[in-house]
Amino acid sequence: MNDDKTVMKAWTKAQSRLGRRQAMPVVLLGLALAATAVGQAWCIASVLAGVLAPGGEPAVTWALAGLVGLAIVRAVLQMGSDILAARAGMKARARLRGGVLDAILRGGPGLLRRHHTGELAALAVDRIEALDGFFARWLPASVLWVAAPLVIGVLAALVQPGSALIMAICGIAVPFGQAVFGIGAAVASRNQFLAMTRLQARFLDRVRGIATIVLSGRTEDETRRLAAAAEELRVRTMKVLRVAFLSSASIDCAMVVALVLVALRNGAQLMALHDQGVPAAIMAAHVARGLFVVLLVPEFFAPFRSLALAYQDRAHASGAAAAMRILPDATAVRAAGQAACDTGQGVSVAFEHVGFTWDPARGVTLDDVSFTAPAGQTLVLWGPSGSGKSTIIEMLLGFIQPESGRITINGVDMATIEPAAMVAMTSWIGQKPVLFAGTLRENILFACPDATDDQLQAAIRAAAADGFIASLPQGLETRIGEGGFGLSGGQAQRVAVARAFLKDAPLLLLDEPTSHLDPQAEAGVFASLRALAANRTVILASHSAAAEGFGGHRVDLDHGRIVTSGEKAS
Amino acid sequence: MKSSENREFARQARREGVMGPVLQILHIWQRRAPLLTAGALLSLLAVLIGLVLMREAGMRVAAMTLGVIVVTTGALRIFGGARVILRYTERLVTHDAMFRALADVRVWFFRNLARGAAAGLGFRRAGDLLSRLVSDVETLDGLYLRIIIPLLGACLVLPFLFIAINMVDTVLAVVVAGLFACGAFVLPLIAAMMGRREGGLVNHASAQLRIGVLDMVGGLREIATFGAEGRMLAHVRDRDDALYRAQMKQARMLAMAGAASYLCGQAAVVAVLAAALGLGLPRIAPLPAAAVLFLTVAAFETVGGLTRAGALAGSITRAAARVVAVGEMPEHAPPEGTEPAPAGTDIRFEHVSFRWSADRAPVLDDLNLDIPAGQRIAVLGPSGAGKSTLAALLLKAVAPQAGRITLGGRDIATIRDDDLRGRIAWLSQATHLFADTIRANLLLGRPDATEADLWTALEQARVADVVRDLPDGLDSWLGEGGTSLSGGQGRRLALARVLLSRAPILILDEPATGLDARTEQEFLQTLNDVTQGRTVILIAHRLTGVEKLDKVWRISDGKMVSARS
Repeated sequence: MNDDKTVMKAWTKAQSRLGRRQAMPVVLLGLALAATAVGQAWCIASVLAGVLAPGGEPAVTWALAGLVGLAIVRAVLQMGSDILAARAGMKARARLRGGVLDAILRGGPGLLRRHHTGELAALAVDRIEALDGFFARWLPASVLWVAAPLVIGVLAALVQPGSALIMAICGIAVPFGQAVFGIGAAVASRNQFLAMTRLQARFLDRVRGIATIVLSGRTEDETRRLAAAAEELRVRTMKVLRVAFLSSASIDCAMVVALVLVALRNGAQLMALHDQGVPAAIMAAHVARGLFVVLLVPEFFAPFRSLALAYQDRAHASGAAAAMRILPDATAVRAAGQAACDTGQGVSVAFEHVGFTWDPARGVTLDDVSFTAPAGQTLVLWGPSGSGKSTIIEMLLGFIQPESGRITINGVDMATIEPAAMVAMTSWIGQKPVLFAGTLRENILFACPDATDDQLQAAIRAAAADGFIASLPQGLETRIGEGGFGLSGGQAQRVAVARAFLKDAPLLLLDEPTSHLDPQAEAGVFASLRALAANRTVILASHSAAAEGFGGHRVDLDHGRIVTSGEKAS
Repeated sequence: MKSSENREFARQARREGVMGPVLQILHIWQRRAPLLTAGALLSLLAVLIGLVLMREAGMRVAAMTLGVIVVTTGALRIFGGARVILRYTERLVTHDAMFRALADVRVWFFRNLARGAAAGLGFRRAGDLLSRLVSDVETLDGLYLRIIIPLLGACLVLPFLFIAINMVDTVLAVVVAGLFACGAFVLPLIAAMMGRREGGLVNHASAQLRIGVLDMVGGLREIATFGAEGRMLAHVRDRDDALYRAQMKQARMLAMAGAASYLCGQAAVVAVLAAALGLGLPRIAPLPAAAVLFLTVAAFETVGGLTRAGALAGSITRAAARVVAVGEMPEHAPPEGTEPAPAGTDIRFEHVSFRWSADRAPVLDDLNLDIPAGQRIAVLGPSGAGKSTLAALLLKAVAPQAGRITLGGRDIATIRDDDLRGRIAWLSQATHLFADTIRANLLLGRPDATEADLWTALEQARVADVVRDLPDGLDSWLGEGGTSLSGGQGRRLALARVLLSRAPILILDEPATGLDARTEQEFLQTLNDVTQGRTVILIAHRLTGVEKLDKVWRISDGKMVSARS
């Protein structure tokens, strides 16, 4: 738990450092805004002073013109500051999201073993979106709440040091008072935020599982419980808000006190001057100064309020930091091989005493496995699922490495071959191909984006996918995947076969390619696969009777050991 | 592309309407009307006190320069204190009211989702759609706090401002009130109209990004085998950039809206000062000028956020429309029955036809099927053949377009939903394990089960050892922040829940998904033993050979064909 906290603190610190640089322009504009506000206060004070203590009206007109000019300047500055803050938030999000996406790609399919796709997608999309406020609002506010009042205070001190002192004391009282009453700590209390997040997650969870609830006939019960949870959420949120509002009320209080003190001080001075009967010009100057400091008070306290408003943005950051710990470290990149591998004469694969264990509690997965798949021939890995077939395929795909023994490709140790070369020589078809959101054409071209239309059509014909594609509403341009047309299991698998044809790699790995199909579709897909297998080295993992027709060398696996190995009669 | 997208948004906007859904949300909030009104009244009072305070403060400061005291320090202190306290109370009450109202929306939403839509949705995977709806409910807080309350405040401030300034000068009153109306009503309206489109573009871009990321995560294997990391990353980055572009446009608009609203207020300040100087406006006396100036500044402060809120109103109304749409009955929802379930459990499908939508081929076409009580059958067929639709029909998640289904001789359309579902236990890939304790998850199957019953069910589902090894046993928390089970273990836990129920009919929709071959076989053998005497409908795309079945059916062209007996 402690370790957790340090990691999160370190993350927040590192992000703050990175984000502050981008927040700099926003901070500078914020200071310029404070200076403009001071100018506006001076103009208003001059005009009012001119009216209340007549004596220098021509200058007063100038002040009014200045006010108009400054108002426009301030509007423009404010706009610029808003836009720059939005941009800082975007830049930070783009940087973080890029990092998360990189880490997911680096983690590869292994990540899916431990985490749900939804969880990873939420991390890359929602968690990062929620961080916007941290960079766009919190970081600038955390600098400005000290810097802006300082600028205003110094300018006020030039005119009336006493009033500036009053403002400074009241300003310092705000964080001091909040620390004494534990306001900040109570608002930021991790427990409250955790409880609130949990309750929100509960609602989402119940809504997601609503079919299960309804079909178990438990709707009324769950509705009641949901109402209770929502009530608890309200009570907890209000607990936080009561303190949070207290914090802004304390800022209000400090401001009112400062305002009243500054006003009374000036009022008393002016009354005294009035009684002395000083000349109008001097009187006007004093009135202007007095009004000026009074008008500065709200501006002096405005940055405190922005900070209070941005406080919850900070809380999001620690949540995101915790969530991001599931991603692999950037440093955890394994050493990649450099060796080239000539595949001109086909690919032969050999396993030499390979051993592997996923989870020691469940026993070894592969135990001293040795076999050879000669170039251009088919090897069938036979056995029930759980016997180690998929593990062998995963090793050949490079997702995992043997713990003992080695794998050679054309005699070269696979671990030393350049990963890109391995990718180039391998095609793979699994149980269920993933179809991406997009057109059917884009999905097949995924295997080889530079393929010509002729090559594409040839691959489609070879995979016997032309039949069903012709029957689709828009043929190759039909949108499939998320939000598109749903393909049947057999059709999807033919798309995968077409991809493999298009890639035209010498080594073909098939991992139970028909286990999700009914016998009819299975026969059809196997026919296409046989065509694909011609002149390639094929390693097929299956325990389907239809695989018998594939011929080739057969290796029987059980509990991660090779049981029998021999030529199949076909 | 661009114009077609815009057209799509326009169409969506028309379809959703603006006021309809908002009114319906207000209707759901009716129960909280007193509290919501109290919050609004307090807020108005706080605004008024604020205005009076500023006016008096202005008077006092101005008067002192003339050597007179028109407002006592005591009065200022009272107004000032009252303002701080009122402001605090007002924020507490409005937020409390808001959370109560939101809780009501949650409950309403959940009940309606359950009433029909959910069951139908559960059969198609719709987790992401649902999570979006959940965040929509949370968006609704802006409706009351950021739109209704400030708008009500503006409606009160406008006449107050006009009357107060009118006592000094009518022309100035008209100018300032006009500028105020502009800042409080006209600008927010313009921002709302413009923001609706921008907000739609942002929503669209973020949905596209989500799809891109989901594709990338789900397709990690394909990406790795085709060496497509760079391409995929570029693809997602494009969508990410598109989102930022849309957000930038929105941010620019919001910034402009904020600036316009600010300039309105400043124009009013300049007008008051000009009147004090007699420049272009009838000259007003110094003392009232100071009072009016402070009053104007305070008045514009109360509506400062409205323009921004207006720009975001589009997303609030859109969220309201989506939430309200849940209340509409889904297309295929069966009528709620009134009669209790009969004692008999013979199931009969008589000439049942069903299609999900009119432009799609029928899934089931004049299907007949007899399942006598206690029979164990399998229904085979490729995905999309209608196997799961069969379960949906039997559970009354959807209603057939033709034909009828009877349970114990009674049409299930007439049977009370909960009674019917009490007779049937259902296990599918869509079966959800809740983020709760293992015990609570199991008790969903039978709330009155004893500790021994729970362990028996866990043994039968072959997951007892796993649970026993957990530090908190049955009270271990599942899901986020708790124990995570592997896919296969989760499946078996869901099975234990089904076995626990006393339902005489079991529908098992691909129950062995996620189990390895050996466990699958053991599991199916267990199933043979523990379901003695119950009707079992096993839905699968293929059989392993160990299932003990009385009959095997295959769905073909929407009809039942006997595969073997």
